[in-house]
Amino acid sequence: MYACPEPAIRGMTHDMANRSATSPAGASPYAPADGYYDELFDAPGSPREFAVALAESLARLGPAGLAEAGRRRDAIFVQQGITFEATGPGEPSRDRPFPLDLVPRILPADEWATIKRGVAQRVRALNAFVEDVYHDRRIVEAGVVPWELIVTRPEFARPAHRVRAPGGVYCHVSGCDLVRDVDGTWKVLEDNVRTPSGISYVLENRIAMSRIVPELFAHYRVRPVADYPELLLGALRAVAPGGGDSPSIVVWTPGPANSAYFEHAFLARQMGVELVEASDLIVRDARVYMRTTEGLARVDVVYRRIDDAFIDPMEFRPDSLLGVPGLLRAYRAGTVAIANAVGTGVADDKAVYHYVPDMIRFYVGEEPILANVRTYLLSDPKVRAEVLDRLDELVVKPTSESGGKGVFIGPAAGPSELAAQAEAVRAAPERWIAQDLVGLSTVPTVTEDGVLSPRHVDLRPFAVYGDEIRIVPGGLTRVALPEGSMIVNSSQGGGSKDTWVLAAPGADEDGDGDAPQPLDAPTMPEMRQAGWREQAPQQQQQQEERG
Amino acid sequence: MLARIAHDVYWLGRHMARAEHTARMLDGLFHADLQGSPDDPASVTLSWDSLLAIMGSPRSEGEPARRDDVVNRLTLDAGSPVSILSCVAAAREGARTIRDTLPAEAWECVNTFHLGLAGRDLSDGLRTGPYSIYSYVKERTALFWGLTARTMQNDRARAFLEAGGRLEAADMVLRMLRAALPVRGGDDEGADAPRRDGNALALLQSIGGFHAFMRAVAAPPNAEPVARFLLYERDFPDSVAASVDALEAALVRADHDPPSSPPVLRLRRMTADLELRSRVTIEGAALTSLFRSVQQELDHVDTDVGERYFHGRGVGRQTVMA
Repeated sequence: MYACPEPAIRGMTHDMANRSATSPAGASPYAPADGYYDELFDAPGSPREFAVALAESLARLGPAGLAEAGRRRDAIFVQQGITFEATGPGEPSRDRPFPLDLVPRILPADEWATIKRGVAQRVRALNAFVEDVYHDRRIVEAGVVPWELIVTRPEFARPAHRVRAPGGVYCHVSGCDLVRDVDGTWKVLEDNVRTPSGISYVLENRIAMSRIVPELFAHYRVRPVADYPELLLGALRAVAPGGGDSPSIVVWTPGPANSAYFEHAFLARQMGVELVEASDLIVRDARVYMRTTEGLARVDVVYRRIDDAFIDPMEFRPDSLLGVPGLLRAYRAGTVAIANAVGTGVADDKAVYHYVPDMIRFYVGEEPILANVRTYLLSDPKVRAEVLDRLDELVVKPTSESGGKGVFIGPAAGPSELAAQAEAVRAAPERWIAQDLVGLSTVPTVTEDGVLSPRHVDLRPFAVYGDEIRIVPGGLTRVALPEGSMIVNSSQGGGSKDTWVLAAPGADEDGDGDAPQPLDAPTMPEMRQAGWREQAPQQQQQQEERG
Repeated sequence: MLARIAHDVYWLGRHMARAEHTARMLDGLFHADLQGSPDDPASVTLSWDSLLAIMGSPRSEGEPARRDDVVNRLTLDAGSPVSILSCVAAAREGARTIRDTLPAEAWECVNTFHLGLAGRDLSDGLRTGPYSIYSYVKERTALFWGLTARTMQNDRARAFLEAGGRLEAADMVLRMLRAALPVRGGDDEGADAPRRDGNALALLQSIGGFHAFMRAVAAPPNAEPVARFLLYERDFPDSVAASVDALEAALVRADHDPPSSPPVLRLRRMTADLELRSRVTIEGAALTSLFRSVQQELDHVDTDVGERYFHGRGVGRQTVMA
């Protein structure tokens, strides 16, 4: 059945598109928000070519159908325990089902190809930067990135000095946050090369979508995401010191109280490896072991989901109760691989971010495929003065925070907040950066009554670096659920969407010999059926009764 | 015990296992089929035609089978004897006949299962969320086996019930293996790293063995390791080897003189043969033909069972169109 591509998408003309987008009687057609790029509709009631079939399916479902599907979604998520703790102002915290919006975001194949190349290029440069920073510092000698900036980053890890990670891979898992500006161009908002999270939602969202609204998939060939755990496992195996057939790999979690514990357990289960906490690990003679019922067992690779600062109280924060004393000793001795490597945080610092395009030119020797958002480094007095002057138009971020913490949005701030932020910048300019405000693109999103309304989104594709860089098609689309909001973090009212990367049109027709063909099913024996009774005696039994 | 009762209880086990595996197969493929394309190694290349083939229905000429048709025929078509609805109706009819043999709780479980399925708006359910139907079938069959394990005297009737369930499970898993994983010959693939195989992953997930596989096997879920796991892994409850073991144990309990029982002797040969083969590496086409021969052997076991215990009843094969 895969042999014939669905003609519905590519064969659709624009006229048909316009007709098909009309909403059910009474409801007004979906209208994109003025001044922003809408990814599925190019005008009110007019879906982009690749979204026509989706718009039709959504119209068929209607607001009532969408609201009903939303209730089924919540029930399934609660049943599966896919929830997160939400605290509103003045409310007690409670578990809520993870807010998956039922309208998928669609990325056509050619658009995805660009994103994929751009992210791979960026991850290659970031990885090279981490290696360089802790070894030869070529980029400093070349005068591209100032050493002073690097060494003052809180995430710069002295214990990682001259430690070469196995295979030269430092950023085993990275997630770049991408946004789409008002003209539709993709830009990188920030990099995450420490312990980016969210991939479990990518996989769970897909499963949930195919269970809850299978009809939306009609006419689309969506590239699967389910093999991520296998990619990750392969990458972790590839960096195990000393090789060996079956290296011992663990996922290290801070514990069940961590907000991403669901994801830690998910990945361990999907990869079939142990999920460990600090108390399970012990270092003896510069080797890492875990405590098992059969005594101590060697650990070769630690996929850690815990920040540098906490991993080893002997080297980093001495008050860390979550760490394993001596871990860094084993790491330096090369007996254990840590993923991501120690000290990668220096590369996703928000001030270092400013230099990433130069890094790409320096290490990869190419022009960046994905642009940065324009960034202002506030340590320069001239730049600082300019920024303070137009603070009400800009976004100001602390350099080494993540998860949207401490982000200041100028246009949304009152006079007293503006003054306070200006004061904070003057007090410690090196701890802040300013950026142009990006008008995030929108995607239709189901509101409470089942009606579609534009909401702002970002995208976090996940790259896995083992023997090469592989990127899962799509990634996590986060959506700001309150109207007009651009804050997509799930801790602050954000939800997510399933992200569909469409299979390249024509891929089916080319028929290069490598493509697996639909299999011819072998002939099977017939299914046997029970056969004690014949029909005749049964009929007679019944007649007997009647008579 | 009466041969007729033994026959009915054996078939009750078969119908429950058939309903469960059909639901698992459809749920797995339905989910997997929504994604992917032929040039993507992670995609699933199992067609809806293959599903009909799994259920022993001859492949129709011309037009490939459409998803909705196949899902309908295998789920709620009362006229198709292999649909889940027909299986459950047959199980319920069988259980009603042998009510006195079953614990009341087990009978009620089958009865409410049937009522629950027949009372649903199935076609509407299929359109919006087949998942809820398949998970209902999985839950109810699991409840049935749990209740009999808890409340049913461990006598011959229970042995026949389990024998039927295990034979059907082994047969269904083999059917799925044969359709989903005709392991390609080693020659035309060259020495490249094995490609990720979406079919293998989908199959594992359908059967509910993904987690077990990842914990037991130090290899990615590609076609070959998955095939070996589902065939040989005696510690995974739904593998062919585990079902053959349990089937033999059940028939030993059921038989008045096991050492002279043809099905028991045949199963012992199969167990030894599987054990031997699991120790040598069999690849590609040889593995595929092994599936076929194991399936044929199980077919012979079924015939042996009918002849030894049911006086030849129920072994006459009826041609069934799925």
